[in-house]
Amino acid sequence: MPNKLIRIILLVGVVSCIFSCSPKNISTKYYYQHEKILDKIEETYKALSLEHPFTIGFTDKAFKTVSIEIITDTLSYIYEFDISEPRLTDTLLAYHFNAAKVIKLIQQMQSIHSAWIKNYDYYVDEKKNTLVFMSIRAVALKSPLAYKKYYVLTYFQQPQYFDSDGRLLDKRKRRRLRKINGEIFRRINDKVCYTISGKFR
Amino acid sequence: MVLMVAVFFGISSRAVAFPIPAAVPLESVTSTRQQAIAFVDAIKQLDSSVYWPNIKPSLFLQNLKATVYDPVSIYPGNGTNFCGYGALSYLFLQDDPLGYAKLLLDLYRNGKANFGGVVFDPSDPIKKEAGRLRYKGILDIHPAEQMWFLCLADHYKGYVNIFNRKYNPGDEDRFWASVNFAKFDRMVRSLLKYKIKAKGSDLIRPHVTDPYQYISDRLKTGKVVLFINNRIVHKKNHVKIKVALPTHFIVVEKISKEDDLITLVYWDYGGKTLMQLSSAFLRRIIFGITYCTKKETDAK
Repeated sequence: MPNKLIRIILLVGVVSCIFSCSPKNISTKYYYQHEKILDKIEETYKALSLEHPFTIGFTDKAFKTVSIEIITDTLSYIYEFDISEPRLTDTLLAYHFNAAKVIKLIQQMQSIHSAWIKNYDYYVDEKKNTLVFMSIRAVALKSPLAYKKYYVLTYFQQPQYFDSDGRLLDKRKRRRLRKINGEIFRRINDKVCYTISGKFR
Repeated sequence: MVLMVAVFFGISSRAVAFPIPAAVPLESVTSTRQQAIAFVDAIKQLDSSVYWPNIKPSLFLQNLKATVYDPVSIYPGNGTNFCGYGALSYLFLQDDPLGYAKLLLDLYRNGKANFGGVVFDPSDPIKKEAGRLRYKGILDIHPAEQMWFLCLADHYKGYVNIFNRKYNPGDEDRFWASVNFAKFDRMVRSLLKYKIKAKGSDLIRPHVTDPYQYISDRLKTGKVVLFINNRIVHKKNHVKIKVALPTHFIVVEKISKEDDLITLVYWDYGGKTLMQLSSAFLRRIIFGITYCTKKETDAK
């Protein structure tokens, strides 16, 4: 009898551990726990990228190497720096960025392990729309056996349509799911969606 | 056995070597951009095509004109496996823009086309899908490019397409659309008026002593396309151990070197990119080098 009880307790423990780490569980909870800093990063990036289009990503596990893609009319420039390197500031200044603001943004991204941020174009009725795509290597997804490691957020400019399961739809009338980067996204609020992915970009 | 392995993995290095036609200058093109612009500008209106029910004629014409005017803008789509077809089309638009425009119009109007002996007769699922691809970035509103990339993937097959030969919606992101190194070279040989010297394979890196010098030298007399391992160029996750396989085609525009720092300017995905990398990293990412030189010219 005691053996059976121990087995049940162990089973309940293992199952609850698995589900507490499951992507579904960290979904909206993660966003609301970190809402302030996530929204701040999105707002700062949106404002800065309006002046000069660029993307930022961390290419190493330690979040010390930053990759910056600077997009001009004729050429995209890809640079990689250690975040403590003076070359980072010099390069940003050379491309007429507000270096202090971009570096603050990089530090904010580093603090929450945000791996990537970029503007993403999509088209509705042949009209171009832009959303901000942000991925985070969330602590709750670091389990060694978890394949999907990244919590990905999309910030839309307009309210979106969702089905009864909260999945992002193409349009209100057409019940086609909208896939971004090959992933189905779910509702956090009218303009913010999330997915859990194996890729950060 | 060696021959079987070579055929299976598309090893096209060493075995294939064509002489460099030094007499034909690099600037020579099969048709000029001015000829192509005059041709597309003369088309004021396009009727809808019964063969391509989901292509809006006005959008098709607009897309065709835009690519003829600005070949750099050709975009293989976000998340698709069309990058090989994109690189091929970028070369095509530079060498024979008039041929490109005529071929695409022929395909649109007649549902099939013959280009220099290559007969494109796309399957029905392709004809239904062209114009309907979504969530691929600006490719969403580029129906001429959708039609063209789908036709290329439908027509040319390599060993990577063995298990997925018939198109189903979504296959543009899957093995149905994949391009291996030998297939890319075969497409260039059959469609473009180029002679090709290919080094490398899908699994083994090319035997080149100094890749920088090799690419730099060949750029002086021709076009260079690289088949690279994009997983380490544009990392998508933080996994340390990555499969060393090439997945992406880029067209080299310029290459220079200062100390050990190489500056590479290349075309891919609707734009040009400048990247700085070390000699060791360049060697690590390259699996295939396709060197194209002019075969003939009719440019005036």
